[in-house]
Amino acid sequence: MRIDARNLLDRLGRNEFAYKEFEDRFSDLELWPILEALLRDPRLQTLDQTAAEAPPVETENSDPELAAEPLKNLFSRYEQHSVSPSIAKSVVEEPVRDVRAMLRHLSDLGARGEI
Amino acid sequence: MPMIVCHGPKGGTGNTFVAAHLAMGLSAQGADVTVVSVAARDSLPLHFGLSPATSLPAITAPADEAVLVGGINLRSWRRAAEDLDFVPMLNELGYFQPGKERVLVVDVPSGDTRLARRLIEHACAHVCTINAQPDTLALLPQVFGEAGPEGLARTAFVINALDETRRLGRHGAAFIRELAGQRLIGRIRMDEAVPEAIATLQMLGRYAPASVALADVKQIAEAIAPTLDSTTNSWVAPVSLAA
Repeated sequence: MRIDARNLLDRLGRNEFAYKEFEDRFSDLELWPILEALLRDPRLQTLDQTAAEAPPVETENSDPELAAEPLKNLFSRYEQHSVSPSIAKSVVEEPVRDVRAMLRHLSDLGARGEI
Repeated sequence: MPMIVCHGPKGGTGNTFVAAHLAMGLSAQGADVTVVSVAARDSLPLHFGLSPATSLPAITAPADEAVLVGGINLRSWRRAAEDLDFVPMLNELGYFQPGKERVLVVDVPSGDTRLARRLIEHACAHVCTINAQPDTLALLPQVFGEAGPEGLARTAFVINALDETRRLGRHGAAFIRELAGQRLIGRIRMDEAVPEAIATLQMLGRYAPASVALADVKQIAEAIAPTLDSTTNSWVAPVSLAA
């Protein structure tokens, strides 16, 4: 560590810096098409299956409402304009919540400095 | 003698760094650790403050040829990818049983996917080190597709070299966190001290004891430790330490 950084930390009485500007809005997250493209990939739903087999674990940052919802539902909602019949059916049965709810959730976590 | 497999989908994400510090962390917790590199060109010795000229002995080499650093036994098995007897050999050496008496950490290069899959079948945990960059994120569907539910049941994700001052880095990390959930067991912040320690031929803990990356990777080792006693096929981190 550079001596000037070390001196500043000593003056602040800290051992490290932590970057704390987490004001990302979900609209910022939407700027990255690669994230939206990945959400459409059915292979990511494999995580749903493994999560179902694993014991539930509570974390202090978890959102019960969002955590209770399988990723595949998010995928299916995202693809509600061009989906297979089976996925489309789940779209109808599930409450209509855009996949952007996930991005908004990420934004909220960021605003609270939890990501 | 449980086995932990370190294997990520993409080179350059810090898989070897995590494997080395996982070994150090588990050793600090009282485990008798052997770390084996199966890479043809391996950088494992550098993370232990050793010279680049260091040649690690084979896993079958006698004890008097061992390279020991802080009580950790450093080994290699460069032909592991082609050696169909590698997994049976590890079994015979007793590395597939739970317990802290002896622990094997295997550093598998990203390209050796088939070897990784063979090893993960017998591992108590698979630590998948990724970064939050888009070219790594793009590989995640392929990773999940190849591993399948059974393979993923043993997988824990680590985000390495995370730069939270960069918007794309924050967004990528947030995406991984939502995707992996409790399987994301931690993140390691970008820290220039890591390459600097290598450049000075010192271990990170000696070169920069206050390194944030060092503190982060120690937390990850603590999160992994419970797997050593696990007897189930599905392991999930007890508490998410993810940022």
